[in-house]
Amino acid sequence: MSPPQQPSSTNPNSLKIRLTHRFLHNLNNLNKKRSNLDNTQIHQRYNRVKLAAYASMAHVVGSRRAWSRAILWKIRNRKVSTRHKRVDHKPTNHHHARSIKRRTTNHSNPKREYVDPNGNSGQEVKLRKLVPGVETMDACGLLDETADYIKCLATQVEVMRNLVDLFSTI
Amino acid sequence: MSTRRSRSTQSASRISDDQINDLVSKLQQLLPEIRTHRSDKVSASKVLQETCNYIRSLHRDIDSLSDRLAELLENADPTQASVIRSLLMQ
Repeated sequence: MSPPQQPSSTNPNSLKIRLTHRFLHNLNNLNKKRSNLDNTQIHQRYNRVKLAAYASMAHVVGSRRAWSRAILWKIRNRKVSTRHKRVDHKPTNHHHARSIKRRTTNHSNPKREYVDPNGNSGQEVKLRKLVPGVETMDACGLLDETADYIKCLATQVEVMRNLVDLFSTI
Repeated sequence: MSTRRSRSTQSASRISDDQINDLVSKLQQLLPEIRTHRSDKVSASKVLQETCNYIRSLHRDIDSLSDRLAELLENADPTQASVIRSLLMQ
């Protein structure tokens, strides 16, 4: 009945191990793709690593959850917009791509006309902003998605910490 | 349409009040600080607030860790990553 402290360490198919595999796979692709160009653009690399982290989280969970679907959708749209960006290389295009991303993620009601129950309005609205894909969900679904999102985020952070330790000691 | 929404939220709050409390307590278990304190019922708004703070701190962690990983990847030998991966696959 008591929830295990570390449920992921014993099960071979556990979330942590699947996340590690996927994240390393994405990092390897990152290395292969950019190994000949842009080695000094560390900010770009940082963005790609961050993107790889969220992408591996979303891919491992798949379409089972609203937040992972939202992340996958965002990534797919981002890929399309960066493909257009690569044609021109103008700073205005970058701004345009960013505004597209913001506009599409707010495609539901931007005015916050929710009927917030029990005076939880401030917190619930903040939570809806933090967890992707839950803008139009009811309270139950929102809490459920939040719990799953937190679990995956914490596991991803653990995986990344382990990798940093591993890479820094080799 | 407003009556339909109020009716659905009323019935939802009547039926799934326990469900919401259940989910809130489940969230509470996941949060690192509240879990170590007394396991009595903490107020739902406090749990939500701690959840928001926790999510934000996790996002910041991911940012800082990907920063360090980016630095390390730049200096690391590209064969090391494949070695590590092959070790983990087994």
